[in-house]
Amino acid sequence: MEAAALVDVPAIVARGFGKRYRGRRAVSGIDLSVGRGELFGLIGPDGAGKSSLIKAAAGVLSFEEGELSVFGQSLAGDADAERIKDRIGLMPQGLGQNLYAELSIDENIDFFAQLRLVPKAEAARRKAELLAITRLERFRDRAMKHLSGGMKQKLGLVCTLIHEPQLVLLDEPTTGVDPVSRRDFWAILGRLLRERGITALVSTAYMDEASSFHRIGLMFGGQLLAQGTPEDVREQVGGTMANIQAPDSAALLQALGGRYPQVDRLGTQIRVFIDGTREAARAGLDPLLAAVPGARAEYDAPDLEDSFIALARQRGIATLPPPAVLKPASGEAGEPAIVCEALTRDFGAFRAVDAVSFDVHPGEIFGLLGANGAGKSTVIKMLTGILQPSAGRGRVAGADMRSAGFAIKERIGYMSQAFSLYLDLTVEENVRLYGDIYGVDRRRIGARLDWVLDSAELRAYRGERAARLPLGLRQRLALGCALVHEPRVLFLDEPTSGVDPIGRRAFWTTLQQLARNDGVAILLTTHYMLEAERCDRLALMYAGRVVAADSPAGMKAAVERESGVLLALDCAKPEAARALLERRGYAYCWVYGAQLHVLTPQPERDLAQLPAWLDAAGLGPARAQRRSLSMEDVFVHRVTALEAADRKAAKAA
Amino acid sequence: MNLQRISAIVVKEWREIVRDRLFFALAFVVPATLTLLFGFGLSLDVENVPLAVVDYDRSALSREYAHRFSDSRYFDFKGQLSDLREADALLMRGQVRAVVVIPEHFEQRLLSGRPAEVQTLVDGTFPFRSLTSKGYITAINASFSAGVLATAIAQTRGVSVEDAAAALQPVPVEVRYLYNQSVKSVWSIAPKLLMAIMMISPPFLTALGIVREKESGSIFNIYSSTVTRGEFLVGKLAPYVGISFLNVLILWVLACFVFGAPFKGNALFFALTALLYVICTTGIGLLVSVAVRTQVAAMLGTAILTIVPAVLYSGILIPISSLSSVATVIAHLLPGMYFANITVGSFLKDVDLGELWPDVLALALYATVLFAAGYRLFHKRTAT
Repeated sequence: MEAAALVDVPAIVARGFGKRYRGRRAVSGIDLSVGRGELFGLIGPDGAGKSSLIKAAAGVLSFEEGELSVFGQSLAGDADAERIKDRIGLMPQGLGQNLYAELSIDENIDFFAQLRLVPKAEAARRKAELLAITRLERFRDRAMKHLSGGMKQKLGLVCTLIHEPQLVLLDEPTTGVDPVSRRDFWAILGRLLRERGITALVSTAYMDEASSFHRIGLMFGGQLLAQGTPEDVREQVGGTMANIQAPDSAALLQALGGRYPQVDRLGTQIRVFIDGTREAARAGLDPLLAAVPGARAEYDAPDLEDSFIALARQRGIATLPPPAVLKPASGEAGEPAIVCEALTRDFGAFRAVDAVSFDVHPGEIFGLLGANGAGKSTVIKMLTGILQPSAGRGRVAGADMRSAGFAIKERIGYMSQAFSLYLDLTVEENVRLYGDIYGVDRRRIGARLDWVLDSAELRAYRGERAARLPLGLRQRLALGCALVHEPRVLFLDEPTSGVDPIGRRAFWTTLQQLARNDGVAILLTTHYMLEAERCDRLALMYAGRVVAADSPAGMKAAVERESGVLLALDCAKPEAARALLERRGYAYCWVYGAQLHVLTPQPERDLAQLPAWLDAAGLGPARAQRRSLSMEDVFVHRVTALEAADRKAAKAA
Repeated sequence: MNLQRISAIVVKEWREIVRDRLFFALAFVVPATLTLLFGFGLSLDVENVPLAVVDYDRSALSREYAHRFSDSRYFDFKGQLSDLREADALLMRGQVRAVVVIPEHFEQRLLSGRPAEVQTLVDGTFPFRSLTSKGYITAINASFSAGVLATAIAQTRGVSVEDAAAALQPVPVEVRYLYNQSVKSVWSIAPKLLMAIMMISPPFLTALGIVREKESGSIFNIYSSTVTRGEFLVGKLAPYVGISFLNVLILWVLACFVFGAPFKGNALFFALTALLYVICTTGIGLLVSVAVRTQVAAMLGTAILTIVPAVLYSGILIPISSLSSVATVIAHLLPGMYFANITVGSFLKDVDLGELWPDVLALALYATVLFAAGYRLFHKRTAT
């Protein structure tokens, strides 16, 4: 009787949960229930309150409001919290931060196993199994500090699972990891949880990871905006996305007037989120479009990021910036602002950048993609004159960076990952300081300060210390500081890490205006594949080389030409289905949440054939659907193919 | 208390300490280095004070007077100067620290039974050395005066100079220095240095070791597991106590064989009390670590809590009995003083539990209070 009752108790239940830090409310009014065996994702930007909820559920953080229970055990007091710890595993935030840098993979795992009193033989068995699944066996003796980001993340997972907890709490396990490792991580996690019936509460800042979860909770500003399956959440929010193509985007925006609060620019498209059904959207929008020559709209279901922003907007906790009004593109505009000619850099025997060539024109936003260590930052450092190239040439704003003097620095702006602000200075002091550093004329600095305060909407925060600004505002201030001297070329190194989607949109609006209207050439690196889609052109770097360079659409088309069209298969056992299809010669399949994604050169045939095969093999019921490739798919596809080629070459040698 | 969990933590901690260069240095190199640096640098003996003499008299007696100084091992005689201006210049440049000025008619006045005033100039920039120098000068001067007086009495009364001298000093003082017969300051400093270094090093190691885990987030492995607070603290601190105890032995060897301090006491008693003492000071580190969140704060906190007390309030520079009443109270609140009694006793006096039991009791009490407080304040669930 009692055992049966226990099984029915959800893994985690929160009622009115709230947490304050020194009186400041970080999270409030969270009602949430995570069922047994569920993979539940908390999705939201930095500061949304995800960590507070996860830590409280792990019994390592006390809380002030509401109730929280795990496996039916209330976590009200310290002693209560101790009672669940034999059944949980926590992987705290920070890539590999909870592991021991000086210890090897083996030693790290052994420590966790001993700490959890796993019998020796059993620990050895589990360790071997987990290392095999995560493909870490070859590195058993390597010290943790020498592992790559993706490997640290997988080791963290192994250490969290070694005592076979019933519930794992993973706090942003994929932050700071490249898309290939991220996808690998989700596949491994999904498989382990399914096989072992483990419940998981996982947080992430990447919206595009939502489909990895059974159910999700969208968090923003300490509130849980919505919860349910990714589909449910999108349905709860509702709305329709209109993707409008128009030759004259300024005329289009004028025609739309201020009617729609959520308008956004993606490449040449204007994207409008419309509250209401497709029919209603069409009825409202089509007459407006009729007035704009050549305007054509496609209607689609909104993706999760759009839904997230819509929710925040509907709740009144965020206002969106109007879309950038841009001058029409003037075609290829003269001399490129950045030119790399076979740029190469060696560190000892290691070639970090290998004959990289590309160019960026004024008015262009150029994205540099690649895993950690692919050489992106080294390229930027050479182009900003921080590092000397070993060979090749980099020209920026007409000057050769090898011989360019100090004057060139006044023509370029640079914003680093860490935002490089002086946190103890106020907004105004930061801007003035950067003005002095870049040699802005004293008489001019007042006007530039006004420009930064207005364009970054920081006027209300003028006297506030940078440390007290929310992340999104801090990022805009950093951008303002990088622009204080009106540079012609702007370098941005992962400028949007951790910033919420609304902040990122605002940031991109500014970038688009800078590029189009002021003719600034922008080179940026990013880990957010949704952001990569917004660049005019991209270069994908792998092991120091540029392996693909094109517009986002061009890159996707190239993958489709070479390897096929993407089909998404819904089926009961995606892991087994993947194995089956791989045996039948489909080289590009990967598990994506509850789905199996396959690239096929013959989509028409396979739309029917693949589900039939899976049904026949008892892996069904299966359903196939054609999908357009995302930038993430392109990235993962390219990099995995290159990695496989490298492995083959290494084996041959 | 589960031994497997404790040993898992001990082994992990040990590996981290010996593999991390910074921690390794902090654990095994810094204490010995500090001892050597302080031991050689912190000599409190005042000898070879550079001294010059201005002799305006240039008589046999004035020369004899000057010889008393130049012959002394306490002074390094830099020569005769012609006048005061020259003396001023040398004093200004710090080339001499003391000048004795013998006036004109020195011999004449003394022989005629009148007093002659000798002026001495002492550089006061190092008060401790100045006072000691003044003491030496006064003593040499007194002995000279007594000699002159005795000679005069002998000549007028027709007795021997020895009898005259004895009659002049009816109460002779005979000083026998006990425990440190040649009054070498390094003999007493070396054991106290051991106390001071072991007051500083273990808390630094411990506080940094724990706060490092807080800073990186690996403390969450502990918070979220079934390890009890007690198991964690024992496992985490045991390596630091062990390393610190090893350091006591190293410092003991340095004190005895590098600085030549004698060890007259009971080795077993000393070892056991030293262990108690490092447990105590490790507890200080524990207390700091529960109060702060960053390694920088831990360094600062530990520095304030340990370095100043170890140097000022433990009797290493100033005897506890010479401290002001407030300072005396502070000294009694800190463990250093008690262990200083034990080290000095063990090294120089051959005393043990019979005489030192109050100090041992104080240390035991101290250790208990620190660990109880550390245990109470360490939570596996935090508010931030």
